[in-house]
Amino acid sequence: MAEQGSIRVSRKDDNVVVIEKDLATEEMLLSMGPQHPSTHGVLKLECMTDGEVVTSAEPYLGYLHRCFEKHCEVVDYPGIVPYTDRMDYLTGMNNEWAYCIAVEKLLDIEIPRRVEFIRVMVSELNRIASHLVAIGTYGIDLGAFTPFLFCFRDREHILNLLEWASGARMLYNYVWIGGVAFDIPADFNKRVKEFVDYFRPKVVELYKLLTENEIFVKRTKGIGIMPADVAINYAWSGPMLRGSGVKWDLRRNDPYSVYPELDFNVPVPDGKFSDVGDCLSRHLVRALEMEESLNIIEQCISKMPGSEGFNPRSAVPKRVRPKAGEVYARAENPRGELGFYIQSDGKSTKPLRCKARSSCFVNLSAMKDLSKGQLIPDLVAIIGSIDIVLGEVDR
Amino acid sequence: MSEYFSNIKAGAVTIATGMGITLKHFFNAIHRKGDAGIDDADYFRQVDGLCTLQYPREAVPTPVNARYRLYNDIEDCIGCGQCERACPIGCIAIETIKVLPEDLAVCGKTSGGQQKKFWVPVFDIDVAKCMTCGICVSVCPTECLVHTPVSDFSEFDRQNMIYHFGNLSRLEAEAKRRKVAEQQAQAAREKQAAAAKAAEEKNGQ
Amino acid sequence: MSIAAISQIRLPFLMGNNLNAWSDALAGLTLSWFPLGLVIIAAIPLVFIALYALTYGVYGERKISAFMQDRLGPMEVGKWGILQTLADILKLLQKEDIVPTSADKFLFVVGPGILFVGSFLAFAVLPFSPAFIGANLNVGLFYAIGIVALEVVGILAAGWGSNNKWSLYGAVRSVAQIVSYEIPAAIALLCGAMMAGTLDMQQINVLQSGPYGFAHFYLFQSPIAWLPFLIYFIASLAETNRAPFDIPEAESELVAGYFTEYSGMKFAVIFLAEYGSMFMVSAIISIVFLGGWNSPLPNLGSVALYDWTSGPVWGAFWIISKGFFFIFVQMWLRWTLPRLRVDQLMYLCWKVLTPFAFISFVLTAIWEIYVP
Repeated sequence: MAEQGSIRVSRKDDNVVVIEKDLATEEMLLSMGPQHPSTHGVLKLECMTDGEVVTSAEPYLGYLHRCFEKHCEVVDYPGIVPYTDRMDYLTGMNNEWAYCIAVEKLLDIEIPRRVEFIRVMVSELNRIASHLVAIGTYGIDLGAFTPFLFCFRDREHILNLLEWASGARMLYNYVWIGGVAFDIPADFNKRVKEFVDYFRPKVVELYKLLTENEIFVKRTKGIGIMPADVAINYAWSGPMLRGSGVKWDLRRNDPYSVYPELDFNVPVPDGKFSDVGDCLSRHLVRALEMEESLNIIEQCISKMPGSEGFNPRSAVPKRVRPKAGEVYARAENPRGELGFYIQSDGKSTKPLRCKARSSCFVNLSAMKDLSKGQLIPDLVAIIGSIDIVLGEVDR
Repeated sequence: MSEYFSNIKAGAVTIATGMGITLKHFFNAIHRKGDAGIDDADYFRQVDGLCTLQYPREAVPTPVNARYRLYNDIEDCIGCGQCERACPIGCIAIETIKVLPEDLAVCGKTSGGQQKKFWVPVFDIDVAKCMTCGICVSVCPTECLVHTPVSDFSEFDRQNMIYHFGNLSRLEAEAKRRKVAEQQAQAAREKQAAAAKAAEEKNGQ
Repeated sequence: MSIAAISQIRLPFLMGNNLNAWSDALAGLTLSWFPLGLVIIAAIPLVFIALYALTYGVYGERKISAFMQDRLGPMEVGKWGILQTLADILKLLQKEDIVPTSADKFLFVVGPGILFVGSFLAFAVLPFSPAFIGANLNVGLFYAIGIVALEVVGILAAGWGSNNKWSLYGAVRSVAQIVSYEIPAAIALLCGAMMAGTLDMQQINVLQSGPYGFAHFYLFQSPIAWLPFLIYFIASLAETNRAPFDIPEAESELVAGYFTEYSGMKFAVIFLAEYGSMFMVSAIISIVFLGGWNSPLPNLGSVALYDWTSGPVWGAFWIISKGFFFIFVQMWLRWTLPRLRVDQLMYLCWKVLTPFAFISFVLTAIWEIYVP
């Protein structure tokens, strides 16, 4: 082995590439992004590379910073809701809901039951839409283009449904403090049921086309393994944490709204199809969660109280001026735990301080650990599996 | 060794499955999805085959409650300015002139029968800034400010994105303003005169 | 009208064997000292590549991908968007010819040229019909395998000359990939050559002709032939940098790989070269395993389908449609599969394809010796 000028590249068990060499080489600095097809927006990764092997990667953020938290201090409470849409623009409903839960906790108001079911339904629809984007773009990262368009074709129906309910396609401002903006249209539940029936076979098709594909499995299985304890130390949440085998879902572990009444599973990889904690597990959790969301939506349709005498804005306060205090509320977003910390001085209609704990930002912070000793294609697979939305990372 | 062959087999089988799916879609390309909107009862019965619509000629209709372009029915607007205050980004600019008592009949009532107390010479909405959140619509007391389902209103010049809803011409507004100013000046003068008179009387006592 | 009567009106001046006379006359045409005829003959495949790549290659790829993904594809330029590629080329022609300041100017300019020439040279030995072949080499197959390696030089020149890190990665990956995959590809083709007993492309085709149509093709002549056929098809995907082996240009990893810095006409030339070599490998696989210009239709008693569908122009039709079929399969694969990783690509080449190629080589040899 030890002849002059030889390089030996091998993979350890946990898929970290090790290079042994007795040859003077230099590392190359490779700036991945902010304009790069697979960084999902304006993320910049500064990688030191040795050949194709990334020895270290440092994420640089802030290219999409829009001062969300500072905005909140000059806009009154209901006016912040449309800004939360723009954090994680793929899951507007969930963001609004998390914020409204926080303010409602601060105001201590009772929410009508039908409103709760409407909120669960629209946010689960939005969760499916978000996971469709995550799965589709993950396919693109790994070179499969067709699943992406199938995902977007189906997401289109969800956007149409949400547009019908709320009036907007992505930035809804539908969930209001104490209620929802409008009641859902008369035929909405019927159409949602039709969507569920339409979508079930499409999930199976997507599963066959992408998830089960041997090349896809080979590209993701065993790549970017995150052990459960490290994931918890990094404060991961959502599908990322569940991908590492921790059964942690705020809808179950810190239940809010009507989730305790609904019957659904929290999918966690069992290590048969994927190695627990790898990219494939995270992808799998998202794929399975879509089906769970479909179950939740079906239950919502059957359990939702009727619309007789229902005013969606009955509990909406005329003027939001909470008494002095602070609150932290969190909700299970498609990308993990989205928490809002709000401080009120008791006098103003504007929050004194509003801090958002964004799941993408926290999940991304493990990038440095995950990327060590990976090949560039694996790095792309890992970024894709984290499923970042730069709008939420930078806010 | 068996793993080696099972890998090859799994690869071949899953690739064949995937190719079967894409081929099925390829042959299904003779069908095209229709352009029924989501509020159409047949919406999910038409989804099959190619789903692209050629936008300017074919489009999925936006539902009636869709919130896109803001429209203000100025005949019903009472110039209360609540929308201006509620807008989180400040894309609405309103200027009002008080209606003089003798002009109240000319100014008229809203369709709801409410007496309008302000002329609204300037009601500008910068729809380029508007984020269609709908907060202004929710606070409007006369429901004259609405989001319309018109989603396509691009312009070549940014100035054209500022929509003017004010119903007074500049000359009219100027005249009204002068009239109000005159009356105010008159009132001030009278007040001053009254004050002076009162002071005189006070001094005279 | 009887069936026999239809066979009588087979466009006599086009279908007859006098196309040879045509090309002979053309070759003798000179303008004072200038061999105009030879230039025209040489230009025919070039024009063919350009036309095919423009009208069918790119347009077909866009439409096929669109239909597989439930889309419409280009629809605006011309009926069903048929003139879209023409519009694209017009746009590319008008673009400024940018050479990056820090690029190696010579390599940057010469790279696309070498690539294009590399994919174009192999067309010289492709028999397009019994009467038309650019150069009837007796080592035609060997030449076709060898000339593909020239593309590597072009890719490396383009990637290195761009002075871009992504391009460099793409170029290095591509070289490693093409050089590795030449081995299973060449061995698989050798199986075909062994069945024919010759490396002469025209001769390989002649040996596969017979009244039973497809039954004479080498793919159906031996039970082993499907193995080298599959191996060569997979290896040819890698040689032309097509998905799932498109790692040299992997757009989600390397932006655009070795042609990241190219724009305008240079980019178009690289594109043309890619579609040219796609057709080239498709033509080679159909010549060696599927009878090239031979009609696949058999003679069924008095219904002499084979005889009616043979001849120089029919030959060109058959080889081009066989080529297009394989191009369709290439596109079909591309729009179905994710991309392999570099080391998996090498694994597939050295641990799967190469051993199986050797096995099929030995089996074919045994078959050829012991089975008459």
